[in-house]
Amino acid sequence: MDTTPPADPRSSAPLLELRRATVRFGGLTAVNAVDLQLFPGGLYGLIGPNGAGKSTLFNLITGLYQPTEGEVLFSGHSLRGQRPHQIARLGIARTFQNIRLFSGLSVFDNVRVACNLHRATAPWHTLLRLRAFQSDEAAITAQVDSLLTLFGLQSFRDHPATSLPYGDQRRLEIVRCLATRPQLLLLDEPAAGMNPAEKLDLIRLIREVRQRFALTILLVEHSMRVVMDVCEHIAVLDHGTKIAEGSPAQIKRNLAVAEAYLGTAAPAIPPEEKSAC
Amino acid sequence: MPPRRHFLFLLSLGLVAGIACFSSGFDPYYLDLLIMVGVNIILAVSLNLISGHTGQFSLGHAGFMAIGAYLSTLVTVFWSDSLLASANEKLAGFAASPWGQNLLFLLALLTGGLCAAFAGLVVGGPSLRLRGDYLALVTLGFGEIVRVTFQNTETFGGALGMYGLPDHTSFFWVYATVACTLFVIGNLTDSTWGRGFAATRDDEIAAASIGINPTRYKIIAFVVGAFFAGVAGALFAHFKMTIVPTGFDFTRSIEIVVMVILGGMGNTRGVILAAILLTLLPEFLRPIAQYRMVLYALLLIVLMILRPQGLFNFRFSRKKSA
Ligand SMILES: Nc1ncnc2c1ncn2[C@@H]1O[C@H](COP(=O)(O)OP(=O)(O)OP(=O)(O)O)[C@@H](O)[C@H]1O
Ligand SMILES: [Mg+2]
Repeated sequence: MDTTPPADPRSSAPLLELRRATVRFGGLTAVNAVDLQLFPGGLYGLIGPNGAGKSTLFNLITGLYQPTEGEVLFSGHSLRGQRPHQIARLGIARTFQNIRLFSGLSVFDNVRVACNLHRATAPWHTLLRLRAFQSDEAAITAQVDSLLTLFGLQSFRDHPATSLPYGDQRRLEIVRCLATRPQLLLLDEPAAGMNPAEKLDLIRLIREVRQRFALTILLVEHSMRVVMDVCEHIAVLDHGTKIAEGSPAQIKRNLAVAEAYLGTAAPAIPPEEKSAC
Repeated sequence: MPPRRHFLFLLSLGLVAGIACFSSGFDPYYLDLLIMVGVNIILAVSLNLISGHTGQFSLGHAGFMAIGAYLSTLVTVFWSDSLLASANEKLAGFAASPWGQNLLFLLALLTGGLCAAFAGLVVGGPSLRLRGDYLALVTLGFGEIVRVTFQNTETFGGALGMYGLPDHTSFFWVYATVACTLFVIGNLTDSTWGRGFAATRDDEIAAASIGINPTRYKIIAFVVGAFFAGVAGALFAHFKMTIVPTGFDFTRSIEIVVMVILGGMGNTRGVILAAILLTLLPEFLRPIAQYRMVLYALLLIVLMILRPQGLFNFRFSRKKSA
């Protein structure tokens, strides 16, 4: 098991910080005054029952929603007013709960299009196909191919992205994120719909990706198996409010969590844990 | 692989020039058809960038064409006349020479294209935030406004239109423009950068999540598409030697849309084939010419049911994302 501890909070500044971040939809408070700090290199989990506001929190961080109150800071700079594509540029990449691949593009092109963020040439090089453009395209092709090989997707290279098996689509979405060379990776239920063997692969993949690409990762997951195994630090959200935070062991013991999941005060392990193992 | 495209481009330009040398020997009827085929290819391929690759349903392509047609006459008619009448003998002589005339025409094509591109920017900027049907309505309105405006501008002949334009459009000009259109739009859509058009079409939220600015791509598609539609309009005007405002009405836009849908959205080869087919078809169906629009409508309905990906689209079909 990977035992890299999360960076010591006191020794470095947080990469991402939420300060009493709140998102309201009319009368509904989907995210309620959440404080959260993610330190560089950490692997964080975010759990909570359906409708707790986890995806909304992701949408808030990636600029799809603006905070109604409070603030989101990335590397110490407020993200207020930044549009989603600008936030991607700053180094935050994400996957989606309901996979959002480009259905008209091949596996290769789905990743290639994400390489635009670090293209060396300007659009007018493309327009006239100048020499610099050609070497740039060759470099991007090599880069995409090596990413696809690394994740075992090379054999699907020219297939339509949405024709892949479900688990591969989820992995492809992660590869597409990596092509933007992010600092922070947000994964929204990456294990959803996977069988136990696939989940095991995913856990390995997440760890390896974190090491190899020096990432900070925040993942939302219903599968306790994945969360407890892979995350070093977990925050629990319920009705938009952060009700607990701590190491996996601490969270397991936390009664409030059990209550949120089971509606009882019994110190129970969430049901999925047993079935998934 | 990429250098091949430069080579192909130059080769096709050479080929066009070569054929053009003999084009005076062509049967005028077929030559005219060939020219119309070329103009329609430019129109269809440029609309394909907007609607096919970028997924923005536009019903205003004839409007851009009209802008190109009318405003190119600023050079070939108004400016050319004042040059020819100029007191400077040398200048007037040059303007009258074949070189001068062709140079003026090149300027006219660029003027038409740039004015249309500017119109594309003006109309596209605010309206590309709209989606689907709303954008279709706005572009439809835009096309009609353009036509009605020209129809009521006395400088451009008002409702009668303009007559006696110089006969500049030749086989060479049309197909050289076709080659440029295919080169530029092909370069845009094939490249890593140009994949952003398709990404914008398939899923704007996902596109933004990897750093693509969907609005920017949509505007660029609109401006580039409008540019080539404007050039096509200028070619068309100097081929017919007349401009009739009603020639740029709604049905003209629909005709181009049909070409794109028939060819398969986003499939350049298919769209070229469709443009050829739909230019030639009416010639064979002259006896029932008045039913052309009915035929188009039927064609579209049958196509939507049987082959929604387009008649000539053999790539994998896309699922439309909601
Ligand atoms: N755009 C929106 N407009 C209105 N309400 C919304 C919107 N997005 C989310 N909500 C509401 O906010 C709450 C939180 O939703 P969210 O999708 O963030 O939950 P979640 O924790 O991701 O749940 P799940 O585990 O089911 O994915 C829900 O009650 C949802 O109905
Ligand atoms: Mg969710």
